[in-house]
Amino acid sequence: MARLEYQASLDSLESDLQEQGEVVLRAVRGAINALETQDVELCDEVIAFDDEIDERYHRIERSIGQLLAQQAPVASDLRLVLAVLHSSIHLERIGDQSVTVAKLTKLSAALEQHTELVEGLCEMGARAAEMVRRSLDAFADRDVAGARELVDLDELIDRTNRAVVDKVLAMSAPGMQEWGMRMIVVARCIERIGDNAVDIGEQTEYLVTGEFHEFSDASH
Amino acid sequence: MGPTLAPMSQTTTVAPVSTGIDPSKIGQLASQLDSDDRGREAVFDVEGLSVSYSGALALDGVSLEIRKNFVTAFIGPSGCGKSTFIRCFNRMNDLIPGAVVEGRVLYHDRDLYGSNVDPVEVRRRIGMVFQKPNPFPKSIYDNIAFGPRVLKLTKDLDERVERTLRHAALWDEVKDRLSENALGLSGGQQQRLCIARALAVEPDVILMDEPASALDPISTSRIEDLIHELKREYTIVIVTHNMQQAARVADMTAFFSVEVREDGTGRHGTLVEYDRTTKIFTNPSDRRTEDYVTGRFG
Repeated sequence: MARLEYQASLDSLESDLQEQGEVVLRAVRGAINALETQDVELCDEVIAFDDEIDERYHRIERSIGQLLAQQAPVASDLRLVLAVLHSSIHLERIGDQSVTVAKLTKLSAALEQHTELVEGLCEMGARAAEMVRRSLDAFADRDVAGARELVDLDELIDRTNRAVVDKVLAMSAPGMQEWGMRMIVVARCIERIGDNAVDIGEQTEYLVTGEFHEFSDASH
Repeated sequence: MGPTLAPMSQTTTVAPVSTGIDPSKIGQLASQLDSDDRGREAVFDVEGLSVSYSGALALDGVSLEIRKNFVTAFIGPSGCGKSTFIRCFNRMNDLIPGAVVEGRVLYHDRDLYGSNVDPVEVRRRIGMVFQKPNPFPKSIYDNIAFGPRVLKLTKDLDERVERTLRHAALWDEVKDRLSENALGLSGGQQQRLCIARALAVEPDVILMDEPASALDPISTSRIEDLIHELKREYTIVIVTHNMQQAARVADMTAFFSVEVREDGTGRHGTLVEYDRTTKIFTNPSDRRTEDYVTGRFG
């Protein structure tokens, strides 16, 4: 094996991505937990934690800049570098969605709530977190089949998202409207987390096969 | 003048590109090529080419096509046969005692090694530039005019010299000192002069064997810019040790490797993979190519 330093940089880049993934998962779970328990302090923690996620993304971006400039990666190394960069951006966005969920939870804390709907959102959030977990594992294991299974999980989240909208529209109590509108956005954020996990799955397929395909079309 | 080859404008039917290694891969490889590539005229069609020196096999069973107005790069480790192979395209191996070339090299559908082919005419149509600039110890003007004078292309010679030097992106640098000795030029200028010298006899193909390996980075960039320019009118084949150079200039890349014979009788070069350069450098099909281009070789 030649180019030991180079290989060490690539290995380190990939472990940085997995670490960013762990940090982002803490944010997702924290946001959902705060929604479930209406814990405003936890919301603040999730919001503040976003700087850590952003810093990890920028660190990965800087490492990639150096690798491209100094090592000129090609073939599977190039694909790894590109896939890590894209996945890191997707993770950073998942962090942003978690922040939005936390902010909306805070804003809605004083409002009357629909318990059943909150439970549905939390279940949706748990599924989204599971998808992020699986997308990171599929990337690490170069598991294209596992990455493609994310589409089926995403479909469940999409369905719940549509059901949340229907439920909010059916709410007749006047005081529930503001809360309901905010929860539509929360559902949308969780739905986007699922989409981002699928995006990471697509990067896994690109990394392994060299071909990039959207797993599902835009109409999905 | 001896018998001439087929006219340069003659078109040929283009067969799918083959690797020369595993026939089962040929279809797969051809399917990876853009339809545009398949429709492009083949200048060379090489089939089962082997070269040995004094009985020692140097290159074994190479089959591939070189397409018109493409830059095709040959890369691979030392001893992989890439320089041996490029020399087959203008019969330079004929000049090496003990060299035996087997197989077939068609140039515009004509057998380059046919008994009625004049190697001098071959080398006029298929020019070559070497690793080390080798201008004649004559004036800049005479270096360019040498080939045309030999071929009695002396009509409007001044215009031909100027046109050729402009073509090689050297005119502005030398126009005021055409009578000065070419050996006074910098290394990069000498190499562009050698390219101009090859262009002066109106070739069809330019072979370049490590044309920039003795040059500094700026001179190298000029040569690479020139290669990009020249491919509009010429077909270019380049051997390079610099993989990034292949990635920068070539449309197609062939990776050659060294194969150690199981019976312990030695080693020889072999073609591993031939494909679009973008494919070779983003998603090569063969593990050996992957290991080489990523620097994991050895």
